Amino acid sequence: MVKLTIDGREFQAEEGKTILDVAQGNNIYIPTLCYHESVAPYGACRLCMVEITNKRGKKKLVTSCLYPVEEGLDVKTDTPRVVSVRRMVMEFLLARCPDSEVLRKLGDKLGVEKVRFSQEEDKNKCILCGLCARACDEVVGASAISLVNRGVDRQMATPFFDASATCIACGSCAFVCPTGAIKCEDIGDTRKLTMPNITQEFRLAKCKACGAYWAPERQVDFFVKKSGLTREEYELCPDCR
Amino acid sequence: METQTVYIPKLMPKEEFFMPGHRACIGCGEALALRLVCKALGSNVIVVNATGCMEIVSSQMPYTSWAVPWIHTLFENTAAVASGIEAGIKSLNSKSKKSLEGVKVVAVAGDGATADIGIQALSGALERGHDFLYICLDNEAYMNTGIQRSSATPFGAHTTTSPAGKVSMGQFTWKKNLPAIVAAHNVPYVATACPSYFKDMMTKLQKAASIKGPTYVHILSVCPTGWRCATDITVKIGRLAVQTGMFPIYEIENGKYKLNMDIPQLRPVNEYLKLQGRFRHLSDDMIKKIQERVTEDYARLKERAA
Repeated sequence: MVKLTIDGREFQAEEGKTILDVAQGNNIYIPTLCYHESVAPYGACRLCMVEITNKRGKKKLVTSCLYPVEEGLDVKTDTPRVVSVRRMVMEFLLARCPDSEVLRKLGDKLGVEKVRFSQEEDKNKCILCGLCARACDEVVGASAISLVNRGVDRQMATPFFDASATCIACGSCAFVCPTGAIKCEDIGDTRKLTMPNITQEFRLAKCKACGAYWAPERQVDFFVKKSGLTREEYELCPDCR
Repeated sequence: METQTVYIPKLMPKEEFFMPGHRACIGCGEALALRLVCKALGSNVIVVNATGCMEIVSSQMPYTSWAVPWIHTLFENTAAVASGIEAGIKSLNSKSKKSLEGVKVVAVAGDGATADIGIQALSGALERGHDFLYICLDNEAYMNTGIQRSSATPFGAHTTTSPAGKVSMGQFTWKKNLPAIVAAHNVPYVATACPSYFKDMMTKLQKAASIKGPTYVHILSVCPTGWRCATDITVKIGRLAVQTGMFPIYEIENGKYKLNMDIPQLRPVNEYLKLQGRFRHLSDDMIKKIQERVTEDYARLKERAA
């Protein structure tokens, strides 16, 4: 166990935990977009910036989602420096995705009054945090989407901007997306997955007994492959099994 | 039907705030619901818990299952205590800078404490517009004291105070439409949910907690002890309640109805009734009567949501 101070309050934390873990566990507010407890931290959105003072008295800004706790660490989450950096980051994000309601709400909360930068014309809501790609890889194990290219050309996309062969249409990416850039809806017998670069449609499997559509066909195939059972085992929906 | 049930659970919050070791019966749907409620709302809450099953099982002296601030209230004053706490938080916040900012007051009560005994306090709190979330865990009778009927007990159900026999045919009135009563107060958000559809329920709770003002979530929780059903089919019965139309799940946002579960064809109510001992005595006539009423109610709800 190590001892640290956050905003003047003393905490004990297990070694290996991050500042964000400790703060969130004690209801100290730190804004985040790209963080999710089920996937490894990544530090893409830069909103969780905090100011730390280490033992030698040196002050610096760090991303709290990646910084592990240390003995004697003094963390401040609301100094003028932290507030101004967060506002700046928020302005950049808002300049990129002016349409996102989540971002605008968060901007209001952080005190962003005006975005000083020219706003992007291309109206997609992706902030390139990569949470969808990480969830797809770490939680689902499909690795169907990823961040491609570098610098200003960086985008969230399926391989070669084409319909993905490995996507199982589970909808996890849409569920974790912090800004609502990915959408997943079921219309009749198809599932429509709308991503910034591509819209894909998937067929849903029909339950043999009740006739309800219960999961995407691709996902059932994925189950069959993973479990080693036959396709017949998956003919019924969970309600009819 | 919920079609995203495999990977979404892995992306749900992991920390528990309603701890194991409590004394709920085997297969309790209410404990399941409450656990998911606590998960969805996180630790930044103050829970006001009316007398009832969940209060009794979770707080046997000297133990507690609650990992969040929790207060036990009487049947009749849950909403009143919640509004008092909310007023206290407001006062503290105005005196010292953001000392209790973002703390949500959550009232948790059973159907008896909501529909019968506590409705006056609830109505008052809704009318005054306090910023709190009221959760009704509806197991359709006073289960904690030994299965007495409440106004949320469905028509025909056997309870100890509406017994089935030669003279009586079980509960003689229809289930009180509590969400509609709450919605009539013009509150910003009212929803019904069932823990069998956890994703739907948890998103509704998070939505309700994020809205400022009084919000209400009505959760059907299956009670194998009182409903006289097998303990291993709690989740299945919850699903059937939704799919037969006995307990449709919908939300009312600023007076606008929205059905959350698209059920093209309602299952016959008999599928739901036959699994439960409390409906064992029902004759074909009564089942037909229930079916007619359920179909009619569902059609009306669909019309409102259209």
